Amino acid sequence: MAELAYHQTTGAKVARYVIYAVLIAMVLFYLAPLFVMLSTSFKSLDEIRTGNLLSLPSSISFDAWRAAWSSACTGIECGGMAPYFSNSLKMMIPAVLISTLVGAFNGYILSMWRFKGSDTFFLLLLIGTFLPFQVIILPMAQVLGMLEIEDSTTRLILVHVIYGLQFTTLFFRNYYVTVPGELVSAARIDGAGFFRIFFKILLPISIPTIMVCLIWQTTQIWNDFLFGVIFSSGDGQPITVALNNLVNTSTGVKQYNVDMAAAIIAALPTLIVYAIGGKYFVRGLTAGAVKG
Amino acid sequence: MGALSIRNVKKSYGDTHILKGIDLEIDKGQFLILVGPSGCGKSTLLNMIAGLDDISSGEIAIADRVVNKLSPKDRDIAMVFQSYALYPNMSVKKNIAFGLEIRKVPKAEQEEIIARVAKTLQIEHLLDRKPSQLSGGQRQRVAMGRALARNPTLFLFDEPLSNLDAKLRVEMRTEIKLLHQRLGTTIVYVTHDQIEAMTLGDRIAVMKDGEVKQFGSPQEIYDTPANLYVAGFIGSPAMNFIPVQLGEEGGHAVVVLDNGSTPQSVRLGPISEAQRAFVGKQVILGVRPEQLTDPESAHSDRTNLQSLQATVAITEPTGPDTLVTVTLNGVKTVARCHPRAAGHPGQAVTLVLDPTKALLFDPASEKRLA
Ligand SMILES: Nc1ncnc2c1ncn2[C@@H]1O[C@H](COP(=O)(O)OP(=O)(O)OP(=O)(O)O)[C@@H](O)[C@H]1O
Ligand SMILES: [Mg+2]
Repeated sequence: MAELAYHQTTGAKVARYVIYAVLIAMVLFYLAPLFVMLSTSFKSLDEIRTGNLLSLPSSISFDAWRAAWSSACTGIECGGMAPYFSNSLKMMIPAVLISTLVGAFNGYILSMWRFKGSDTFFLLLLIGTFLPFQVIILPMAQVLGMLEIEDSTTRLILVHVIYGLQFTTLFFRNYYVTVPGELVSAARIDGAGFFRIFFKILLPISIPTIMVCLIWQTTQIWNDFLFGVIFSSGDGQPITVALNNLVNTSTGVKQYNVDMAAAIIAALPTLIVYAIGGKYFVRGLTAGAVKG
Repeated sequence: MGALSIRNVKKSYGDTHILKGIDLEIDKGQFLILVGPSGCGKSTLLNMIAGLDDISSGEIAIADRVVNKLSPKDRDIAMVFQSYALYPNMSVKKNIAFGLEIRKVPKAEQEEIIARVAKTLQIEHLLDRKPSQLSGGQRQRVAMGRALARNPTLFLFDEPLSNLDAKLRVEMRTEIKLLHQRLGTTIVYVTHDQIEAMTLGDRIAVMKDGEVKQFGSPQEIYDTPANLYVAGFIGSPAMNFIPVQLGEEGGHAVVVLDNGSTPQSVRLGPISEAQRAFVGKQVILGVRPEQLTDPESAHSDRTNLQSLQATVAITEPTGPDTLVTVTLNGVKTVARCHPRAAGHPGQAVTLVLDPTKALLFDPASEKRLA
């Protein structure tokens, strides 16, 4: 009996080490590109040319970061990533907030105020979540043309709100169907109207779902390249498009250190959002009915 | 003056008829119970009184005012829900104040009302908590507090005790009854528990499949159920239904009960006109277990008690009494006996039946033969 237990524990120990080894290998594999990007961004061009890809920089230099931020050339402009970073922010913040709020509102109506055909409506919205980007480009371009919106940021906000709505609606609707309808009935008897019930009762209990939408939409919109490259132009382009231009601008020597720094700058906001909100994301996706 | 009148109210969802013409009327201060099995339309009816759902046809009047077209907030009602439906993001105090704020009750008055309600329900120490920090019984109290704060003409309760454990349920039941006596409010109360119905109600409406099967006082419903359904639904253990052939002898109804070996003739009360039409035909004899008992436990002042012999099949002690199951006319029949007189399985016992309480039903229409 004791011997058996002993064997089991050694077996378990070995299994545990194997698991750790596999996990560490995976982590290294996934982190390697980030490591290369970081270390390259701190190297000088000379060191990059002569040195090893995996070696650490001999001395830390922030020149590449400075250049990437404010002086690198993206096509004919040479103002770095900064203006495009701000473009992306100006586009992302309203787009995320609007699509989240409207999604919450849609979800509220589709779960608490069902109307004739509301289930069909929801089904159609669901189909929207399966549509790839490419399918909607042409109709979207036509609509934007008809609306005669010239400003790149406004165009992208509209596009992202529309494309994101089906996701945010889905998230909120699926959360609200778990909320007992008696809550709304009670509020109606208390005299609360349609908007008061939404803003005073349902929205405050939706924090986990709001977090999910904010994170989801932030990453979707910030990382989007296709809509950005098609629906924006010139100095109104988002950072993903600018990064592409920067990397592809070929004047003289390829400045790998600047490219790397610019790529990290472009990826930073979503990294930060995940670091801060990751646990809410998981919690929100698994959030069930509100008790009491 | 009618506190609540429900006149020929119907409700259908498409082709499904949920309520098939409900008529009820209660006076101010009465406690109306809607009782019936799951899915019979109790909540639907309550929601329509509240105005949460539209009626398909008919009329509902609260305090003599037709409210068909009024929204819930204008009907002067308050409702307590099965899930309590407390606002999870608000403190107990905020929960109670929510309706008052919307109605623009002055702040000072709000405080006064909250203090009064909290005192009545003994939830003063809970006012700053969130609903998630309360036990089931406490949530129940807060839900009632929210309703009380508004001091409406009509209170609606939808199975408010069904989420509580058995002991707490009995406690809260008593408390609701006390509250009703003290405040004298008019209450409509939905339950599927027949004991709750009997103990709380002034008036009981027994519902089934969207119809009211009987509407009356608890005692009426218990003593003179209108039909087999009501007779079987109210009372625990349930009424015995024994198929018998009806006879007449000297102006009295007579039936024969066979214990398996000897047929015994039993004389019931004076025969009525309705019953006379069934002489010679099969009817159903309804006897509550407590009206079939051992000779010692029977009321000694009753002179015309009918005794019969039977063989004990099973005994089930409940403490004060023992339920004795015997077979009469081929069906299992339960008698409520004194534990000492209960006997053992296989043993022969003498039982006495109170003929004035025995009921007869038409097996075809299921109506009681009055
Ligand atoms: N929106 C609806 N559409 C169609 N049928 C419905 C709808 N709401 C309720 N019903 C049906 O109406 C019937 C009565 O429902 P109701 O909730 O009133 O029952 P109940 O007597 O309160 O039962 P319980 O004791 O289980 O609460 C049920 O058969 C239910 O399926
Ligand atoms: Mg119900």
